[in-house]
Amino acid sequence: MKVSTALCSAALGVGLGTLLLPGAALADTTVSPATTPVGGTVVLTATTCNPKSGDAIFRVTGPNRDQNVRSTTAAAGGGLSAELFTAGFTLGTYTVTATCGDGSSAGSATFTVTPIGAAPAGSGGDSRDNGTLAAGGTLLGTAVAGAVILFRRRRPVSAVA
Amino acid sequence: MSSRRTLPAVVALLGVTGLGLITVGLTADPARPPRPPVDAPARTHPAPDLAPLPRAAPVRVRIPAIGVRAEVVPVGADAAGVLEVPPLDRPTLAGWYRHGVSPGETGNAVLVGHVDSPAGPAVFFDLGRLRAGQEIQITRADAAVTTFTVDDVRAYPKDRFPSSLVYGPADAAGLRLITCGGRFDAGTGNYVDNIIVFATRTT
Repeated sequence: MKVSTALCSAALGVGLGTLLLPGAALADTTVSPATTPVGGTVVLTATTCNPKSGDAIFRVTGPNRDQNVRSTTAAAGGGLSAELFTAGFTLGTYTVTATCGDGSSAGSATFTVTPIGAAPAGSGGDSRDNGTLAAGGTLLGTAVAGAVILFRRRRPVSAVA
Repeated sequence: MSSRRTLPAVVALLGVTGLGLITVGLTADPARPPRPPVDAPARTHPAPDLAPLPRAAPVRVRIPAIGVRAEVVPVGADAAGVLEVPPLDRPTLAGWYRHGVSPGETGNAVLVGHVDSPAGPAVFFDLGRLRAGQEIQITRADAAVTTFTVDDVRAYPKDRFPSSLVYGPADAAGLRLITCGGRFDAGTGNYVDNIIVFATRTT
């Protein structure tokens, strides 16, 4: 909303022949990457802040957090950047609102802190094959019964011999 | 005469075969879950223009194509930041990642479920069998029932889990179902892949 308002007023300004700072039309904040596993680092950039007018302030708000981060470096593509380390962050989505050193708003962006890596969602299953077990049990039972019958039939024979 | 010799041989053969089958039965590989295509980029069909729903926890998931009807409980992440899964002794439950959006809100809601447990196949055993166009119905705590249609089903090696595709921002209401799959590594006690279903809300 803020961005589109800026774009509209810039277009109107150009239409009226008014001199405007070109950067004002592109007020923007970026977070890279937009998702990070908890504990990862994201780079916050206010692309339109002029380093000459002082540090930018990034206000980071989210599930359990409301903190200000001061810019530390001039961004390669223009503007000012800060690194944000997400160790200890609650998982969820955060909003970053940037203000340039001259007090002007530099827009906002969101990023998401995610669980680490993959989901441990299996145990390898049941390592017993019940069908085979039942068949084996039946055969073994038959064998035992057979052995008993043979043993009982053989005893009188051996007694005679 | 001959039966006297044959019968003990038959009995011995039965005994040996029976013991062999029992041994095989105790050590057999369990049933393995179906395996979708590996690690290709997922695609998303254009989402219909639906007004997003307010936040409400999902309470039931139904996937008619693979016979899933399950209760859903909220899950988070453990102290190390790894996604929680419902306890292995309740393998018929699915878990909803509560730090993300709820099904029907704008963004991707995430459900996770076991593929199997020591008791055998679990709630999401057949997830890899789902195909594009099949439906997933979610009942929410506010009694709304919302339907998602499968866009794609993919397997990803766990060391290349596509976090941004699963948890990242989205313009429409999406759903991600996660379970395990691929080869089971007995050494680590884990499957090597995650199976992920990508779906978009259609009603």
